[in-house]
Amino acid sequence: MTEAHHMHAPNDANAAYRISVDTGGTFTDAVVAHGPDIVAVGKAPTTPARLADGFRAAVERAAQQLDLELGELLAQTDRLVFGTTHAVNALVQRRTAKTALLVTEGFADILLFREGGRPDDLLFEYNVEYPDPYIPRGRTFEVAERVNAEGVVERALDDDDVAGTLRNLRERGIEAVAVSLLWSVLNPAHELRIGELIRQELPGVPYTLSHELLRIVREYRRASAAAIDASLKPLVQRSLADLAGDLRGWGYSGSILVGTSAGGCVPIEQAAERPVHLLKSGPAMAPVAGRTFVREEELGRDVIVCDTGGTTFDVGLIRDDEIVFTRDTWFGPVGIGELVATSSVDVRSIGAGGGSIAEVDAGGLLHVGPRSAGSDPGPACYGRGGVEPTVTDAAAVLGYLQPDHFLGGRMTLDVERAREAVTTIADRLGTTVTDAAQGILTLANEAMIDAITELTLNVGLDPRENVLVAGGGAAGLNIVPIAREMGIGRVLVPRAAGALSACGMQVADIAFEQSSSLIMRSGAFDRAAVNGVLDGLEAELDAFAREARGQGATWTKEFRCEAHYAGQVWDVDFRLPGDRIDDDQALEMVVEAFHGAHRRLFSFSDRENDVEFVNWIGRVSGRLPASANGRAGATAAAPEPAVVRPAWFDGVETRTPVYEDAALEPGAVVQGPAIVAGPTSTLVLDPDSAAVVTAADNFLVTVATGG
Amino acid sequence: MLQQPDATRDAQDVDRVLAAVIVNRVRSINREMNDALMRSARSALIAIARDFSGGILTAEGSLLSVANSLPGHMLGSGRQARSLLEHHPDLREGDAFLHNDPYEGGTHAADVVVMVPVFVDGAHRFTVAVLAHQADIGNSVPSTYMPAARDVYNEGALIFTATQIQRGYEDIDDVIRMCRKRIRVPDQWYGDYLAQVGAARLAERRLKELCAKYGVDTVLRHLAWWTGYGESMMADAIRRLPAGVAECDVWHDPLDPVLPDGFRVRARVEVDPAAAMVRVDLTDNGDCLDCGLNLSETTSRIGAVQGVLNCIPERVPINEGSFRRIEVELRDGSAVGRPTFPHSCSVSTTNLLCRLTIAVHGAFAKLGDGHGLAQSGLGMSAAWGVIAGQDPRFGRPYVNQLFTGFAGGPATPHADGWVNSGATGGHAMLLRDSVEVLESKYPIHVDAVRIVPGSGGAGRFRGAPGEEVILGPRFAPMDLAVMADGQVNPPAGVHGGHAGVPGATYLLSDGGERPLPGVIQTVIQPGERVRSIDNGGGGYGPPHERDPERVLQDVLRGFETVERARSVYGVALVGFVADETLAVDVEETRRLRGTGEDDQ
Repeated sequence: MTEAHHMHAPNDANAAYRISVDTGGTFTDAVVAHGPDIVAVGKAPTTPARLADGFRAAVERAAQQLDLELGELLAQTDRLVFGTTHAVNALVQRRTAKTALLVTEGFADILLFREGGRPDDLLFEYNVEYPDPYIPRGRTFEVAERVNAEGVVERALDDDDVAGTLRNLRERGIEAVAVSLLWSVLNPAHELRIGELIRQELPGVPYTLSHELLRIVREYRRASAAAIDASLKPLVQRSLADLAGDLRGWGYSGSILVGTSAGGCVPIEQAAERPVHLLKSGPAMAPVAGRTFVREEELGRDVIVCDTGGTTFDVGLIRDDEIVFTRDTWFGPVGIGELVATSSVDVRSIGAGGGSIAEVDAGGLLHVGPRSAGSDPGPACYGRGGVEPTVTDAAAVLGYLQPDHFLGGRMTLDVERAREAVTTIADRLGTTVTDAAQGILTLANEAMIDAITELTLNVGLDPRENVLVAGGGAAGLNIVPIAREMGIGRVLVPRAAGALSACGMQVADIAFEQSSSLIMRSGAFDRAAVNGVLDGLEAELDAFAREARGQGATWTKEFRCEAHYAGQVWDVDFRLPGDRIDDDQALEMVVEAFHGAHRRLFSFSDRENDVEFVNWIGRVSGRLPASANGRAGATAAAPEPAVVRPAWFDGVETRTPVYEDAALEPGAVVQGPAIVAGPTSTLVLDPDSAAVVTAADNFLVTVATGG
Repeated sequence: MLQQPDATRDAQDVDRVLAAVIVNRVRSINREMNDALMRSARSALIAIARDFSGGILTAEGSLLSVANSLPGHMLGSGRQARSLLEHHPDLREGDAFLHNDPYEGGTHAADVVVMVPVFVDGAHRFTVAVLAHQADIGNSVPSTYMPAARDVYNEGALIFTATQIQRGYEDIDDVIRMCRKRIRVPDQWYGDYLAQVGAARLAERRLKELCAKYGVDTVLRHLAWWTGYGESMMADAIRRLPAGVAECDVWHDPLDPVLPDGFRVRARVEVDPAAAMVRVDLTDNGDCLDCGLNLSETTSRIGAVQGVLNCIPERVPINEGSFRRIEVELRDGSAVGRPTFPHSCSVSTTNLLCRLTIAVHGAFAKLGDGHGLAQSGLGMSAAWGVIAGQDPRFGRPYVNQLFTGFAGGPATPHADGWVNSGATGGHAMLLRDSVEVLESKYPIHVDAVRIVPGSGGAGRFRGAPGEEVILGPRFAPMDLAVMADGQVNPPAGVHGGHAGVPGATYLLSDGGERPLPGVIQTVIQPGERVRSIDNGGGGYGPPHERDPERVLQDVLRGFETVERARSVYGVALVGFVADETLAVDVEETRRLRGTGEDDQ
């Protein structure tokens, strides 16, 4: 994917570009699209101290491929979407703000208890410690107040009491406040009043009120989401505001959108208010991209999407052409980690990537990750002062990376430093350097295989029945052995594999969802009240669509409802058959839609019972034309390697042809052993694999799976 | 690489990857079935607290999977599946049955199992069992636990011994009508029944899909391999234990008028690494009691088996194969053994079952410091009471078991006790009530659910702290049934560890507070509150050997107090919790631990 073949500025000078940028833990990717085509991909190291620098460098590199200055590109761009893994990194590494939690008196241990239970796999395991709460008990404060189950205030809030607590927080240097009171979802008055008092007593300190974040009954879920959201606000709000300011300064005046955990995008102002929705900002986009690529290639409806960056390895699933979602996202082990109960793409992350550090413990056992060298100092071979051996260093030692042409020639690798770093491991293990390097890669593979297993085998899905989409800068290094180990015969590596999440942002819908609580029984249904709620929701959806100004987007609105049979406690989400409920026949259809949804989920319906409708949801999405396009009319030519170099496979030094990926046209077949070097990623083909360039211009790798 | 277990080495015609796929898919079907039940049920004890289990068995009754369930619930399901075959040799597709007979494999009457035979190509190949603790089962008092029950007639529960409830996928209305006339809050019961049978039907459909894909013989062959794998993994784990025989006695609290001195539970455990067997002898236990505390045969086995599994320090697969390595000896006519009809087993899943389990822990601990566990919190406090009454908000009656506060778990040789442990029978698998969901469904008000500082048994490793719950009715009198244990005999520590705090029940009324007995069936008036204290777990090893940093963290967590850090643990702290300056005074701690005395 180089200028010669792919990067051509469109003829229409007034045409609008769309830019997507994914800020990962190690690299920042920028994808520029025009009409249905991806026209440029830029990649630059992430700059943790100031994210905007890496962001700018990635976009600049993409602009260069179009022979444009940064300002020129931005002036011709009308939509910019970006994703960030900063929120999740902060959460996982606990680099969050010093946060206080205010709860109803009597319930200060709410985050300790969680929802009870014990992970299934710890059933008889007593030698496991119970984890601490997300907010320490010492920063959790009880507020004397109470609202009852009908939303009536039973114990009024005492302003002075709360103000006293807040002044104490100020003295202690608290940086963010979460407020989660019992029954605030029915009567938010006390939470709202505390919000006002926070603005008075702690001006400038960000806070989250649970009822505004998550409108559901179940106090722990709201408290957990609110605590996490508040703790992320100072960091996320600062970085988003800085970035918006920088973008305006660079000459960009179009809309700025941020990718969310739900695989859609929202305006930056809204994103800053709800950082909890950014926890999977980048990763949620990889399945969105994977689905688009596999649809285009017509490879099937069941897909495993892997995204290997420098820091993490993410896996998501497409099942029967639908992205798999979850409402139970645990950061840490299920049941005893931290729960985020907002709806999001089901992506599992593990700390394994190109930057994962290898070390040998006191007992002589080799470990890889979860510690990462990130982008600064980065792997030893980057020559930025890193001395610890990483997965990238191991790949360099094995000859998989092109030292003088890394990242399309924008970076050179110091293989000698990689060798020195890996030698420390080899010495400890008493093996050769190449054996140690091979061991590091194999161990990194194992962690990734475990993650795929958890999402497929552990829920009874046979990975062999799936196609694997491999994205991320480090994916191509070891995807062939991983596929072989899992018995997966087909792997799709998109041309733009190095920027998979950023590609997802190009094809993601502009999406907005709003919900409203109104409890209503089918037996005593107030149509006017419900239609009033739906009117209000629709007005919010319309306002969003006007604001988002998606170019050429086709807007669709849908209304959904969460409901249960009277007496049940968990809701079933279903789509309303119409936009409004105007007569008895329309209500009958709504009730029927609920029976159907309930039967599909639970294999029974209960027509004797009233249906209780709880939450009304409006969703608007703007679908944009697909951005990935093939090169029509290209012909197959026998590929010529750019160079033949030694590389190690299974401990054997092998003369290995290295191909420039730009030289490979649709129809080209590359037999392993071989290396395909691209500007944003490297694809290593083991001797038992082969790649063909598809008509849509991606690499379809076949792996011998031994049956 | 660890040595491969026998089953793995010798298996023929078994594709290892396919075995992993099939085993995990069956477990996944099991989880999907359980999830469907939880999300579609009506009563909070099923829909929130997860007091239910699902299992998948072969047609002959060999247990294949108990994913995400209370293992105790399902250990007897094989016997129930065989009871089903005995009473209904002519099973047909579309049948469904109720089973809760404690004398034919059931636990106690309230745990009603829906059993569905799964037919593949016209032959009965699997049995799906979905057990749910009913909110009510028609007892003579509004509680599913009846410690005072003289016999099964006095208890009054409906008993289904493989009673057919569906034919051709349709309800048999004769039985439904009977239940509606005998079970309190019949709509809630029927909703829960629909959820149970729906979950079983979902698993039936999924199992058929699985067999259509791989062939029923392939599926069963690979599942048989899995059973063998479980047995050899368990055998290997036992071979790594020290040989020995130990006996442990524990005492259930006194219970007026039937047990003025309490009741002794004795477990004799023999670990035989040479034969790769653990034998639990329960024959030296007292006769059946004229009350509801008797264990059923199934719960006697459960207590022994789970006590052993808790003390096996490594992970083993849980299936019929792993159970084969645990031999349990029982006596006819014993309250901890095989009961004689018509004795009541109304309370057989909690009180004596917990005591039996911790007796096994204690016997293992006698094998040496580094083995076994301290005693677990006993649970069954008022925070787990059964409430009933009228809800004027909806003009209808209610009945439900609470799961608002949990007893603390036991300390181990290597870790502190588990918060959220609850009664040992539940294995900390039960979920907590959401206060908001409880208050919306039932006319009660919850004032507090919190940790009691200083309540975990002190030790080198500490028992988990106990909890305090305060709640009461809002509008009308509320029946409350409680059968707490651990108020007189709290969970003991081992190897120098201290006991956890005793449980307690108080009635708050007219500004005052008075203690209530452990076992009560009473009425709480609107405006009154019940305050319940759950046990902390027992500690393991001497408190003075506890890492001072852990003691500091406990104080910061609110689990311990500065005063007890000094007096019990010999750890001096300086600074304050409130301004985040609390720290260990290393010198003073050294002095306290060198010359000071453990004050207990």
